[in-house]
Amino acid sequence: MTPDEVAAAVAEGAVVLDLRAPRPFAREHLPGALTMQFNRADLADRAELVLPREVPLVVHAEPEPIARVAVELLAGAGFRIAGRLEGGLAAWKAAGRPTAELPLLDVDELHVRLDELEVLDVREPFEFRHGHVPGARLLPSTEAWARVDELPADRPIAVVCGDQTRSAAVAAMLQHVGRDARLVMGGMVDWLERGYPVERERARV
Amino acid sequence: MIFKQIRHEPLAQASYILGCPRAREGVVVDPIADLGADFYVLEAADLGLDVIAVLETHVHADFVSCARELADVTGAPHRLHEAARGLVRYDFAPLTDGESIRVGQVEITALHTPGHTPEHCAFLVIDHARADEPWCVLTGDSLFVGDVGRPDLLVGDQALDVMDEGERAATQFASIHDRLFTLPDHVEVFPNHYGGSTCGGVNMSGKPASTIGFERRFNLALRQPDAEAFARFVRETAKPFPDDYRRIKSINLGLTQAVR
Amino acid sequence: MTDETIPAADSVLDARGQVCPMPVLNAAKAMRGKPAGYVLQLLAADRGSLADVPAWAADTGTDLLEQRVEDGVYIYLLRKGGEDA
Repeated sequence: MTPDEVAAAVAEGAVVLDLRAPRPFAREHLPGALTMQFNRADLADRAELVLPREVPLVVHAEPEPIARVAVELLAGAGFRIAGRLEGGLAAWKAAGRPTAELPLLDVDELHVRLDELEVLDVREPFEFRHGHVPGARLLPSTEAWARVDELPADRPIAVVCGDQTRSAAVAAMLQHVGRDARLVMGGMVDWLERGYPVERERARV
Repeated sequence: MIFKQIRHEPLAQASYILGCPRAREGVVVDPIADLGADFYVLEAADLGLDVIAVLETHVHADFVSCARELADVTGAPHRLHEAARGLVRYDFAPLTDGESIRVGQVEITALHTPGHTPEHCAFLVIDHARADEPWCVLTGDSLFVGDVGRPDLLVGDQALDVMDEGERAATQFASIHDRLFTLPDHVEVFPNHYGGSTCGGVNMSGKPASTIGFERRFNLALRQPDAEAFARFVRETAKPFPDDYRRIKSINLGLTQAVR
Repeated sequence: MTDETIPAADSVLDARGQVCPMPVLNAAKAMRGKPAGYVLQLLAADRGSLADVPAWAADTGTDLLEQRVEDGVYIYLLRKGGEDA
């Protein structure tokens, strides 16, 4: 699809699915795009766990050969594919269309700014119980799309998972519904490595 | 470090994907068209690596390269040693002798090792996550396991051949002794061909990896006392020419188009 | 770790091509139906596994006998606990 065709599809209810890695996605992406990191082994499995089935998807993947394979994998898992963006981000920008950014922070910054941010942990309950950022709210990535409206709108939301793959997916969902989301690079693995404090139990769901 | 040797058995050819998982960056070395650019794009994606450069040890004569297509589709630079300028009919980002490419914690250094071809270079690999010393060297068609790259794949055009067979043999002898055999014994050797490939002689091993130390001691061609004896030995232990090498070389030089 | 010798794995799950959270989900699947004491070696290239594998082990009563990194690959040795999880 050309950028214009993608924009038209989105206007009619399609959602862009960006398959690049978290960092390039965060740097710049199509406004409102959801994201999921590509691989062949389990893209379909992960998509089934997290992505909405009811909306048609427009695939954005780079380099382009990845887009073709991704469409096959996702369609094979029963997702409705409206098309794929030809020419990637470069074509989108060349057509004069705006892009969006997902602000990043590392765990050191998160630690310093705990009081100003709503921390959202998107892992599964057993992971959350084992140790989470003090004061974090739990919303498993597998339920996020359906429940994203439950989240408060008064503060920026810092999204956390084990590293940053599931959190990127949820952060994109938050942005999709107009929330102020931030992605915590390195997630709980980095948080634990730095020796920052963790809470156990007490899930505030 | 992520290090993947991809062996294409029909031509006994080895290409490589190397990279740094933390930086999510990687390079592809000597990609083969029989597998195709898409193959490497997907392999790199599965390994969690963005391709930041496509390297070639030299302009190949025994298989069609897909380096240009791969560079095109990934937006990464296609790199050959600068001596290929004037030989190839396309643009590339030249490498100079000793130039280093940083790929996260991995450092790849180009070593100009002419002989098999005038622009041939080997790639020395350091994984700084483990040590600041060389760990392995991708030797292309210069040093093989048990053998050496042949010096007689000429296209019959002095401007493109640059050196004749005699000069190539002598240069090959010097390149390997002076640039590769001066590396520490433990440095692993990863070639572009192995086993049945006709790019080397009858002594080429089916094992697709070795070490500098083992080759220095047991590589028969390089144990010859001087360049003349080396040239004679290589001629006497040569295999038949690779199929179609003039046509393939012409494609890889950008002189003709590949017909698919 | 105590003096206890590290036992050999009954099987290996190579999850190196998989992205978080699949390595731990597939390890859980691999352990289902196995008897207590069954030892699974899990290989993952995903850094997120450093947090979710220990959490899963604690949650299911699985012993995490060994955890190490070799060249960017995370290697876990898991032994299924008492009753079926």
